[in-house]
Amino acid sequence: MAPVSGTASQDVRWYQRAVFYEVLVRGFYDSNNDGSGDIPGLMNKLDYLQWLGIDCIWLLPFYQSPLRDGGYDISDYWTVLPEYGQVADVAQLVDDAHRRGIRVIVDLVMNHTSDQHPWFRESRQDRVNPKADWYVWNDDNQRYREARIIFVDTEKSNWAWDPRRGQYYWHRFFSHQPDLNYDNPEVADTMLDVVRYWLDVGLDGFRLDAVPYMFERDGTEGENLPETHAYLKRLRKEVDSLYPGKVLLAEANQWPEDVVEYFGGGEECHMCFDFPLMPRMFMAVRREQRFPITEILARTPAIPESCSWGIFLRNHDELTLEMVTDEERDYMWSEYAKDPRMKRNIGIGRRLATLVDNDRRVAELLHSLLFSLPGSPVLYYGDEIGMGDNIYLGDRDGVRTPMQWAPDRNGGFSRADFAQLYLPPLMDPVYGYQAVNVEAQMRNPSSLLHWMRSMLEVRRAHPIFGTGSMEVVSTDNPSVLAYVRASAAPVPGGDGAGGAAGGPDQAAAHGDCVLCVSNLSRFAQPAQLPLQRWEGMTPVELLGRIPFPPIGDLPYFITLPPYGFYWFGLVARHPSSTGG
Amino acid sequence: MEKGPLDRLELPAELVDAIGPYLARQRWYAGEGPPATMHIVEAGLLAELPNRAGRLLWAVVEAEGADYQLVMADRPVAGDNLRGHDEALIAGLGDRVFYDATVDSEMALALLHVASGGAERAERARPLGVEQSNTSLVYDDRLILKLFRRLSVGLNPDADVTAALAATGFSHVALPLLRWQRDGRDLAFGQQYLAGGTDGWALALTSLRDYYGAASSQAPVHPALSGGDFAAEVCRLGQVTGEMHLAMAEAFGVSEQGLGDQWRALVASIGSRTRHLVPELAAGAEPLLERLRGVQDPGPAVRAHGDYHLGQVMRTDLGWYVLDFEGEPSRSLEERQRHTSVLKDVAGMLRSLYYASQFAVGERAESDPELLQPFAQAWEDRNRAAFVRGYKDCKGTEDLLPAAPDDRGAVRVAFEVDKALYELAYEQAFRPDWARIPRAALRRLLTAPVAELIAGPLEPPELPEAADEDREV
Repeated sequence: MAPVSGTASQDVRWYQRAVFYEVLVRGFYDSNNDGSGDIPGLMNKLDYLQWLGIDCIWLLPFYQSPLRDGGYDISDYWTVLPEYGQVADVAQLVDDAHRRGIRVIVDLVMNHTSDQHPWFRESRQDRVNPKADWYVWNDDNQRYREARIIFVDTEKSNWAWDPRRGQYYWHRFFSHQPDLNYDNPEVADTMLDVVRYWLDVGLDGFRLDAVPYMFERDGTEGENLPETHAYLKRLRKEVDSLYPGKVLLAEANQWPEDVVEYFGGGEECHMCFDFPLMPRMFMAVRREQRFPITEILARTPAIPESCSWGIFLRNHDELTLEMVTDEERDYMWSEYAKDPRMKRNIGIGRRLATLVDNDRRVAELLHSLLFSLPGSPVLYYGDEIGMGDNIYLGDRDGVRTPMQWAPDRNGGFSRADFAQLYLPPLMDPVYGYQAVNVEAQMRNPSSLLHWMRSMLEVRRAHPIFGTGSMEVVSTDNPSVLAYVRASAAPVPGGDGAGGAAGGPDQAAAHGDCVLCVSNLSRFAQPAQLPLQRWEGMTPVELLGRIPFPPIGDLPYFITLPPYGFYWFGLVARHPSSTGG
Repeated sequence: MEKGPLDRLELPAELVDAIGPYLARQRWYAGEGPPATMHIVEAGLLAELPNRAGRLLWAVVEAEGADYQLVMADRPVAGDNLRGHDEALIAGLGDRVFYDATVDSEMALALLHVASGGAERAERARPLGVEQSNTSLVYDDRLILKLFRRLSVGLNPDADVTAALAATGFSHVALPLLRWQRDGRDLAFGQQYLAGGTDGWALALTSLRDYYGAASSQAPVHPALSGGDFAAEVCRLGQVTGEMHLAMAEAFGVSEQGLGDQWRALVASIGSRTRHLVPELAAGAEPLLERLRGVQDPGPAVRAHGDYHLGQVMRTDLGWYVLDFEGEPSRSLEERQRHTSVLKDVAGMLRSLYYASQFAVGERAESDPELLQPFAQAWEDRNRAAFVRGYKDCKGTEDLLPAAPDDRGAVRVAFEVDKALYELAYEQAFRPDWARIPRAALRRLLTAPVAELIAGPLEPPELPEAADEDREV
């Protein structure tokens, strides 16, 4: 891996080929034995992440915070939560990571602050102080009534009464998270200062939390407003001109045709999360048929060429289908939301391993989809070793237990007293750190961890997984999902020899081309794939470099073991053992 | 192409002699063995490939009273275009070889050019299996060309109905793209190819295999809670079916006189056919026939699909599509075009759900089929109800059904019994191993209390809601 050379890097589109790794600093590694993970601890583990083969670390918020919402309630944008370290530690982390060819982005919450933020403390004093207009205040709680309440379980209204100031303040999330007032130019400017500040520290970009809600307008639902898009364009322009090669990754938990707006034709965010794809990958395996996946792919609009989807299987959050969409236009929604299993286990956060009943075949199949469908994969710490969860810790903490490094005390996460740990590590016989840990899996070449590493290696060798075109190959068998990822444009100077069919097919012979075939069923399945377009080419299985019989003028016949999958490179001619 | 510029051609006598034995090997040929009588009705040259690479020939031959369409490649022996398709060979004559042109992609491309009058072009062609009455070719995964083999008198119902439905704005048929006709007959019909589609039969089996797999390895499960639950898909299929019937009514009208004579003929036919069954069933049919004769108004008649089952519907990424409006191949054209009850199609799909559930039982030879029967029944009940729910959810279908709710059930049962009798005759003749499926169905249909049958899924009791919070898979 070549080191990242700061802002001088020519590779401004690195994010299109990158594999992201989401880290909970608190849960990763504790360097000072206080029971809580910290930034120096993460620095200690960079060698591991480099060995694994990820390209970019995504850190959850590390700013000052009363931690009433996992750090998404920021009380000071300029400093780091002392338990995690200092700003200098962040700079050091970024340097160390860059030397290993790894980039670092961090969550940034722009929509709101904590009610403990000095800006809000000042703003709520009275109606005339210098920060009086930094938040959204109103005399009554009737304004913007069209805006839905997002956290319906805990909040009754988007307005909360402040007795001192004698007004209501606006909050789209928890009432302890007042929304900033972006109509105030001081706020809009200051938030750009925040962005510049952290990019100066060396960070490679931000995952922008809750972007659709930045502005409010009468008579609207207060989401996806033109003013919000205009501000994001301004932010992007600033970042591009001063810090080329940095990335903005939007969290807009909306239906794809609304989410694409956040790419802004290539002038807003570089990346957006693809939320609807995730539950459908699970659904496809459960239904043993591809339609949940192919349907959402068919309904996902094209995105600007310089942009990418961020795709994931699990993350730190509980993720409900309700947040994907509550609208009728997704008719699949009515089916999936009714499924008791989807309701229970995806509605509340669970880890991948527990979601798939610890079936390693399914975990591998789902990862193979994650690594080969269009978009940049985002891994969640611990999923690479098949960590479990602790549902008794409550919805969110259940998937935030300490990383399991070794079979030693506290799973090798910390040398603090057990009682001092921020959360107890998993200790059950199936998912506990005695059974599931990095050290043991690194020693065992057939472990999930080694499998993950080889998959990432193959993926890295084929940038088309990030940037190539996507074409579903039809097959009669509904349990089989096949698609071809290929270079959008022919790569000049490729090996055109080998008697591949002439004409436009020659393009495939020049560029890279990978055929992915997956069996979504727990039974073995056959499939006949109409691959005649690639007639004469040889499918080479990419994990073992095994050449399969060449593609002829009949449908290509293939059999797959239960939950099996293949990645085939389609090559014009495979060098035979006799050197032909 | 109507009466297009066909260069008439005299086929070599040796080639004509070889056509008879060739016909006898084709699935689409209706006769047994080489035809006793056969003659060339018309033959011509459709296209000539550049560089004398070959010629595309066309002929209609009459054999034992039916007309068949041939497209033949005429190539020099040297080429290897026939590689892997020895069954397609018609004759080798000197240094020329003649064979079915549909297996030769270059010839198939030339055929598309001719059939579309030059309007359609493609890069690639591939044959897509052979059906009973036609050969299908897929071009660029974009267009499917049905080449009719056994030529009907007059226009082809599939092409007619598909075009008419598409014209009403019904979006669940593959769009018609070309129609090749000559002398008032359809020779070929080209439509949008539904890439990425899977037929309903395969999808139903996927659901059933998952369910039976779970059922035989765990405590009994409700089909709603199994991973591969099919009901939501079937419910949408029911809606599409309803929309199809409304589009049919719009395109072909509703017969004013209703089913009338057809209904009486159907009941009489069921009566005469059930008399030949084992005595228990023959006797069991009597109360049902009594009830059927008592139907006052069997409802309106519209053009229907006619041969509606899971194999005729295709699930694509954008929903269900309905295919193949030929009607039952064994019936006469006039019969196939006749307006009938929409319940004929509804019954056809319900029978198909039963067939799928039993077929999947048969697949699991290692399990005791009797142990799986309760699961088969549960799956069938759930999906029948889901289909009917979808159908009735489609606004307007009410008007296409018999007015009296009780008569709806009776008419639907009549079509189910009619279909099961047809299936039994068909299976006994062609697939004796499968005859157990319609036989068991008839046993159920003819021995169950009539009131229970009629109450069936058209007026179903409220189902327990699928997502039962307290149950786990």
